[in-house]
This record gives sequence, structure tokens and C-alpha cells, in this order.
Amino acid sequence: MEPIIQLRNLEKSVEAGPNRFFLLRRVNLDIQPAEFVTIMGPSGAGKSTLLSIIGMLDGAWTGEYYFNTEPVHRLNVKKRNELHKANIGFVFQSYHLIDNLTVFENLEVPLSYKNVPHKERVSRVCDALDRFNIVGKKDLFPNQLSGGQQQLVGVARAVIMNPKLILADEPTGNLHSAQGDEIMQLFKRLNDAGTTIIQVTHSERNASYGHRIIQLKDGWVVGETATADVGANAAQPG
Amino acid sequence: MGSIWQDIRYSGRMLWKQRLATLVSILAFAVGIGVNTAMFSLAEAFLLHPAPFENANRVVALVDSRPHQNIDMNAIAPATYFDWRKEVRSFDRLGAYAWDETSLTGNGPPQRIQAFRISANLFEMLGVQPQLGRGFLSEEEQPGKDQEIILGHALWEQHYASDEHILGKNIKVDGKSFTVVGVMAKGFDFPLPAEAWIPLAIDTKERERRDSRWLWVLGRLKPRVSFSEASAEMQAIAQREAQAYPENNKGWELRSMTLAQSMTGDITREYTLLLMGAVAFVLLIACADVANVQFARMAGRTNEFAVRTAIGGSRSRIMRQLLMESLLLAGCGAAVGLLMAQWEIQMILSHMPPDVAKFIAGWKTIGLDPNAFLFTLAIVVLCAILSGMAPSLFASRANLADSLKESGRGSTSSRARGRLRGALVVAEISLALVLLVGAGLLVKNFQGLLNVNESYSPRTLLTMNVGLSDTRYPKDSTRLAFHEQVLERLSRLPGVESAAFVTHVPYSEGGGVGTYVFSIEGRPPAERGELRNAIIETVSPNYFGLMKIALLGGRLLTDADGANAPPVAVISESLARRYFPGENPLGAHIKVGGMDSPRPWMTIVGVVKDVHYSWINKENIPTIYGPFRQAPPYYTTILLRAADDPSQLISAARAQIAAVDPELPLYNIKPMNRIITESIIGIAYVAAMMAVLGGIALVLASVGVFGVMSYSVSERVHEIGVRMSLGAQTSDIVRMVLRRGMLLTIIGLAIGLPIAFALARALSSVLFGVAPADPFSFIGLPLLLAGVAALASYLPARRAARVDPLAALRCE
Ligand SMILES: Nc1ncnc2c1ncn2[C@@H]1O[C@H](COP(=O)(O)OP(=O)(O)O)[C@@H](O)[C@H]1O
Ligand SMILES: [Mg+2]
Repeated sequence: MEPIIQLRNLEKSVEAGPNRFFLLRRVNLDIQPAEFVTIMGPSGAGKSTLLSIIGMLDGAWTGEYYFNTEPVHRLNVKKRNELHKANIGFVFQSYHLIDNLTVFENLEVPLSYKNVPHKERVSRVCDALDRFNIVGKKDLFPNQLSGGQQQLVGVARAVIMNPKLILADEPTGNLHSAQGDEIMQLFKRLNDAGTTIIQVTHSERNASYGHRIIQLKDGWVVGETATADVGANAAQPG
Repeated sequence: MGSIWQDIRYSGRMLWKQRLATLVSILAFAVGIGVNTAMFSLAEAFLLHPAPFENANRVVALVDSRPHQNIDMNAIAPATYFDWRKEVRSFDRLGAYAWDETSLTGNGPPQRIQAFRISANLFEMLGVQPQLGRGFLSEEEQPGKDQEIILGHALWEQHYASDEHILGKNIKVDGKSFTVVGVMAKGFDFPLPAEAWIPLAIDTKERERRDSRWLWVLGRLKPRVSFSEASAEMQAIAQREAQAYPENNKGWELRSMTLAQSMTGDITREYTLLLMGAVAFVLLIACADVANVQFARMAGRTNEFAVRTAIGGSRSRIMRQLLMESLLLAGCGAAVGLLMAQWEIQMILSHMPPDVAKFIAGWKTIGLDPNAFLFTLAIVVLCAILSGMAPSLFASRANLADSLKESGRGSTSSRARGRLRGALVVAEISLALVLLVGAGLLVKNFQGLLNVNESYSPRTLLTMNVGLSDTRYPKDSTRLAFHEQVLERLSRLPGVESAAFVTHVPYSEGGGVGTYVFSIEGRPPAERGELRNAIIETVSPNYFGLMKIALLGGRLLTDADGANAPPVAVISESLARRYFPGENPLGAHIKVGGMDSPRPWMTIVGVVKDVHYSWINKENIPTIYGPFRQAPPYYTTILLRAADDPSQLISAARAQIAAVDPELPLYNIKPMNRIITESIIGIAYVAAMMAVLGGIALVLASVGVFGVMSYSVSERVHEIGVRMSLGAQTSDIVRMVLRRGMLLTIIGLAIGLPIAFALARALSSVLFGVAPADPFSFIGLPLLLAGVAALASYLPARRAARVDPLAALRCE
């Protein structure tokens, strides 16, 4: 099977005075469909940068990037946005919910950008509320929820479009461990159902839910470890 | 005191730090304050100082009015005046004046002057004295002893070279000899636009008359009598008179007005108030703009306020600080605004033709005087409070924990702030709409007034007036001969297509054409006091052709309708419709005056289309045309139709008329289109000023929309980043911002439209040619406003679309 993501010699640099400062350097990476990959590394290593490139929020880089064999590096902004919109869901460390919208409305936002008819939108939002056990919270505003609940909404929002790929940047970074586990189990279930997941985390425990760990340091990929077995165990606590 | 100085310095520094916002605020204030100061100067001149006399506030004008016929101010009948002089207790003096146009003859070419016949006590009542000589004596009010004249300063200067020894000299007025007994001080021209005064002598027969109203009566209040007491007394008297003389007084109502009111006139006062309302709107919009800017500035300073509170700054101190900023802004705005006002006043003064200005009470006093400065100061304080109150209340309330934690993202207080800012924009839009619609209606009205007269091509018509005095032309036959000769000579002039006579051309005398009572044979007025009124025109038969007035039935007047032929008349369509509804007026008999008038019955031989006479009247005024050969007039307007520019005909026409009578002055020599524009210049001013104010409102409101939308975009950068990460395209973001801007606009329009509609109904009952549901004003202008608002929100929307989601999501 073709990898869902192929990165070839991917580089990103910014100008820093007279010099170039590399945020990512010669990154080569293949990720298979339905893989659950963890990216780890010290702060400032370029993890978030890599995630936003994969997530097509960032288009300023060099090298080659194939998404499902589609050459992202050759697409114009519009095409790239469409690819992003159709395939990718984001989960952020600080949730990034829209403060002035209720839970229900927050979940509706991604659907509204895909011309989903109103009826179907409502039913899909209701499904998601159901699935994530947050029906009772649907009319609350984000600042009326706990961090864990907010991140649940964040995940629900990411999956509501049934994306092929979920990108999660330190999704449990602001949560205590019980809440973190809940999110991780959610990811595990989504992954089991076939969704590709790439997460950034500092926690070995979270990493253990995935199949593979990619180590990043100063923009370089410096190592790779498989974690498949550990992950399987952790997924069935008790 | 020191702390206030500190506040000022600090405010100055804060304003300087955000120069663009400061500049926008100052400009908004400058425009708002400028138009208010300029308008105040006009209003002050028209409403407060139209009567610059010592006793003006003790002098009451007593005028008749006929509310059902929209006659607001009419003169009084002589008999009524003499009754009052015997009866009234509230006034220690009653005086009167009457219009009297005459000409100075002998001593060079004859000159037409505007004289007034005045009662001997009039100057004393007003508290004015001649600069040279004396006022009139009461014995000079007797017919035969009234051969004295007092000269106006300008006339004395120009016509008599400021001759210091003029007193006691004889001058010729309308061929009669008058003794100069006084010269008035410079600038005195009451009643406007007086150039000379002669005694008001009324013979015993005229003193008895109640059916002709030509005396303008003034009364001076007794020392301890108030205006309302006097007014009540006069009402009682007027009621008694109405009962005693119903045939003459039914339907008439007495109005007591202050001298200032009577000089300004109802229409000027109404339009002045309308414009004052309009500039107040502009000021409110400017304040809303500045308030919005202040909100935005304040939001960037929540931390400053939190820290100030934390270190013990009181709430009132923070409010004072912010109000000081608003005050500083308003002060700077006022400084620029005064310059603008000065310029605006210059514009207003310089575009008014002197022929019109001389009729406007108070016109000479327009200018930036100390009162205008005081007014501007008051406006500055008002502006500071209006624009600074809400923002400073919000700022001082923001509590420490909230603002330190919030870091700009949606808390309840920022939501409330957003709503208030939205409300300000909504208010701006609705105010601007009301103003725009008002302006639209007035401009439409003005265009209508210009267009209605195009039918007779006023551009190629020359008009001039002659007045034959009854001393020199006492007999019908001499006047007839004069007219026949003049008509014949003028028709033969090269360049003249045709020449005609009419008593008054439409729009002459500022549109205030007089109407006269007429009677219909066999049909006494159904109700006592019902007034049959019409404009009476004595014309040459070719007048209709020259004015392109279409015949609707019967025949026009002809040259055969002479002195020995049966008297005939042509009536206007409106007269036929009003007084002969559903019947054929041809063959009916009418006459000028009451049933018992000595004038002959005239047979109606034709009905013609109406001519629009005056901008004041929405409806056509019934008109009766009689042939000049059957009633040779004293006063005539000569009309010359030229092929093109009629002013080339002036000197040749003068020469021809001088050949008939070298003593006769020609005056008001003007192309017809100038008569029309001068007559409607007041409304042109109002329309132009409203249009300018509407434009200003449009700009200020769109600045408001722009400000609020760009602020809201900067507040929502994070949200926009999130939305982009969730798949929002550029167009989605643009649409989102536009939608909010348009929502505010539409709410504003929805609030403004009904108000504008109510205003339009009120205006359209006054205005000519304006439907209250004028599509241009009610569809076109809201669309224009919506379009401008859309543009004003499109710019921030573009900026929103350029938000970098990475940056937006990173800055946590
Ligand atoms: N647009 C940018 N311009 C300059 N430096 C950046 C930019 N984006 C990220 N960086 C820097 O690049 C490095 C990698 O950032 P990031 O990918 O956020 O690291 P992390 O691995 O902690 O997520 C950091 O040092 C960060 O400061
Ligand atoms: Mg990071």
C-alpha cells in the first residue's frame, strides 16, 4: 500500500539576520495509512513546525511532500487548502475552541466550510456529541468547561469530518493524566477504526499508545523506535 | 489642580502615541463641530438677531392668517387697525407700515426704490432715530400733509452723494415733490429691504375698509405686560371682530408674533430648524465615531488600567483621565472646526445674490461672533462627554483579575463592549440614513422646482417691470396707449421673437404672489367667509403663446378683446376644477372683488393649463387672466422672448421704452431663469447644505463601520486562525467579516428607514414634487449607504483573510 504521507528532503528555514535559520532539515518520512505515529523531542525541536507543514497550514518550505500520492509541493494555495479541508483534522494543546460559540456551534464550524447541508450538519454534530458523551454540554461556552471537556470537544471537532489524518500537537499538555488517558483512548479507538494519527507529545505514556516514535532534534530526525506492543497493552488498562 | 495638569500631559502623550486614531478623531470632531458652529451662526442671525433694534423684544407683530389656505402671515385691514388703536390695553403704541414701491424722478434717470409708508410712531417704537434730521410727526399722517421723505443711508450715499445739507430739500417721487426730513443710520433697512420711508396717510374712506388687508401692524408692549398677556387680549379682540364682521373676518385668525419671528418668517425658521437638526445628527455620528476609536484604544490599554487600579488609582481618576483625552480631542477638533466654520460661512455668504440677501432678516449679521465661540465651547464639552463617557465607564469598570487573565479573548466584558460598539455603528447608520433621505428629498424637490418651469424655456425670456404712477397716468386711455406703444415697439425689435405683458411673472417677488377675491355670478359663497381667491393677471393676448401655456378649452384672449368689446377672461385649469367641478365654466361670469365690487362681470371664454407660481405652493393657484385692453394696468411686467441669450436685448428695450416715456424707470430687469433661481435660492441652499451634510454623514458613518470592523477583526485574529485550521478558505473569512458589517448596517437601515419615512411624510407635505415614497430616496440612498458600509467592512475583511493561521495559533 502507498504511504499516506511521504516527505522527501523537506526543509524549512527562516531568515535570522544575515543567516538562514533551519527549523527543519532534510526530513524524510513515510507514514502508512492507519498508522499512529508519535513525534517527540525537546522544546524548539521543530515538532509543531513539522505538524503544520503536514497539516498544510504552512506552505513555505522546500522539498517534496506527497499526500496520498498527491504532490503537495506542486499544489497552489487553493488546491492545498482543499486537500487539507477534505482530509485533515487538528487537535491543539490549548484546544483553540472559538470562545464566542457554544459547544454545538464549535462542532458545526468545520462542517460549515464543506457545504454540508443544514440537516446533515445537525445530525452529525449530534452524533459526535453522543459519541464523545458531551450532549449535556452542547449549549455551554468553552469557558464554562473544564480543560478535559474542552479537549474532548477539540477532538470531536477534529473527527467530525471523518478525516483520513488527525494531527494532534501536545493534545494532553494542559490536562492531568486521567483526562489525558481518556483522550489517548479516544485516539486509539479512532486509529483502530482506520484513521491515521500523528501526535506530538512529551509523555512516554502517551507515546505508548502509538505504533512508532520519531525523535526530532534541532530540525533533524534523529531516531525512530517502534512501540506497537506497549501501546496495545496500555490501551486496555485494568 | 496639579493632578489635572498631569492628566492633560499624560493624555497628550497617549494621543500622540496613537497618531492615526487621534487624527481620525480630531477630523471627525472638526467636521461635526464645524458644521454646528456654522449653522449656529446662521440660526443666531435668523432666529435670535433678525431684528437688531433696542426695543425689538418689546415689539409684537400682529398679523392675520388663514390656516386652511396656508396663509401664515397676512397684512391687516385698515378698519381693524384703527379699531385696535382705540381698544387695546396691552400696547402703549400701535404702529403700521405698508409696502410702497416708487421711483425717484427728475434729477437724472428715474430710479425705482423700495419705499415704505410708515406710521409716525414706528421708529420711536423700535427705538431708532434718524442719523440726520427727524422722524415723522403725527400730523404728517394726514392725507395732503404727507409729502415728506426719510432716506435710507445707502440711498443717501449713492443717489445724493452723502449730501450733508439735504434736509429740507425737495426731491421728486413719482413725479410729486417731497421734502427730505431725515436720513437713517447706516445699515437700518427695516422693514426689509427699505430704501426710503414716507408717512402713512390713510384717507377717511380707506380707514373704513375691512375687505382689503394691506397694513402690517406692530405694537409695543406696555412696561409690565407680557407677550402672552398681550396675545390673549388680541385673540379676544379678534374674536369679537369675527362676530361683528363675519363676511370679512370669517376664516381669518389673528397671530401675535415677536418682531423677530415675523421678520424671519415661518419658512426660514422651519428650514433653519431642519438644518439644525441635521447638523446635530452629524455631531452625534462624529461622537459615535470617536467613541468607537476610544473603545479600540482603550482595549489596548486594559493592562494599564488594571495596573493603575492595582496601585490604588480610583475609578473616578481613571474616568477623569479618559474624559480628559476626549476633551483634548474635542478641543483640537473645535480648533480645526472653527476654521472650517469660517470657511463654510464664507461659502454661504458669497453665493447668495444681493437681490435675495436684502430680503433676509439678519443676513448681514451672519458671522463668527463671541456667541458662536461660546456655543463651540459648549459643543466641545458635550462632545467630550458623548464620546468619552461610555468608553471610560467601561474602562474604569474592567477589573484587575479579569483583564490580566483575559489577554484580549472573549470574556463577558469584551462581549458587552463588542455589543456596545455594534450599537454605536447601528446608531450611526440609522442617523446617516435619516439625513441622507432628508437630503435626497430636498434635492429632488429642488430639481422638481427647476424642471416644472422648463416648459416655457425661462432661459430665453427677459422680464422687466414698469409702474405707471396714477399722478402721471390717471386715465385708462393714457395707460392703454402706453402699453400699446411699448408692445408695438418692442415686438419690432430685432432679436425679439415676441413681446408680452403680464402683471406678475411666476416666481417673481420671491414666489409670494398675491391672490385676490373674485366672485362668480349667481353663486354667492356657499358659506359665509368662504374665500374665492385667485391670482389676477392682466395680460396681452400673446402672453399664452409666449409662455407656451396650452389652451384646454374655449379660446384664448385676442386683440379683439378691447375696451369696447364685452369683458372676457380666461381661467386656469385649477380654477375650473376647484370652482366649477364637473361643469363647463365657459360662459360663466366672474369678476374681481366681492359681489358688490364695481368691477365688471367677465365672461369666461377659455381654460388654460396651470403655471407653477411659487416654490412655497405645492398645489397650483387658481388664476384669472384678463386682457390688458379691458383694464389697462398701472403695474406691468414686460416679457421678451429672445432666440437665445435675452440679456443682449436690454439696452435696445430700454431705449424703446424711454422713447415712449423717458421719465419711467425700468427695474428688475432679469432673465426669467434668474428670477426662478433667485426665488428658489433659499431652497437651493437648504438642499445643497442637506446634501453636503448627508455626504458628511455617509463618510463619518462609513468611518465608524470601518473602525468597528477592523477592531473586531483584530480582536478575532485567533478565531480566524482557528477557523482557517478547520478548513475556512479566504472567501469564507471575507464573507464572515462582511456578514457582520452588513448585519450592523441592515439593522441600522431597518431602524433608520421608518424614521426617515416619518420625516419624509412631514417634509413632503411641505415640499413640491416629492412623493413621500420617493424611490430614489428610499431605495437608492439606503443602497448607497449599504454599499459604502460594505466597502468599509470589505477592507478589514481583506485584512482578516490575510491572517496567518500559524501566527494566530502560536501566540498563546
Ligand atoms: N515563523 C517562525 N519564525 C522564526 N522562528 C520560528 C518560527 N516558527 C517557529 N520558530 C522557531 O523554530 C523553532 C521550532 O519551533 P516549534 O516547531 O514550535 O518547536 P516545538 O518542537 O517546540 O514545537 C523554535 O525555536 C521556534 O522559536
Ligand atoms: Mg510545539
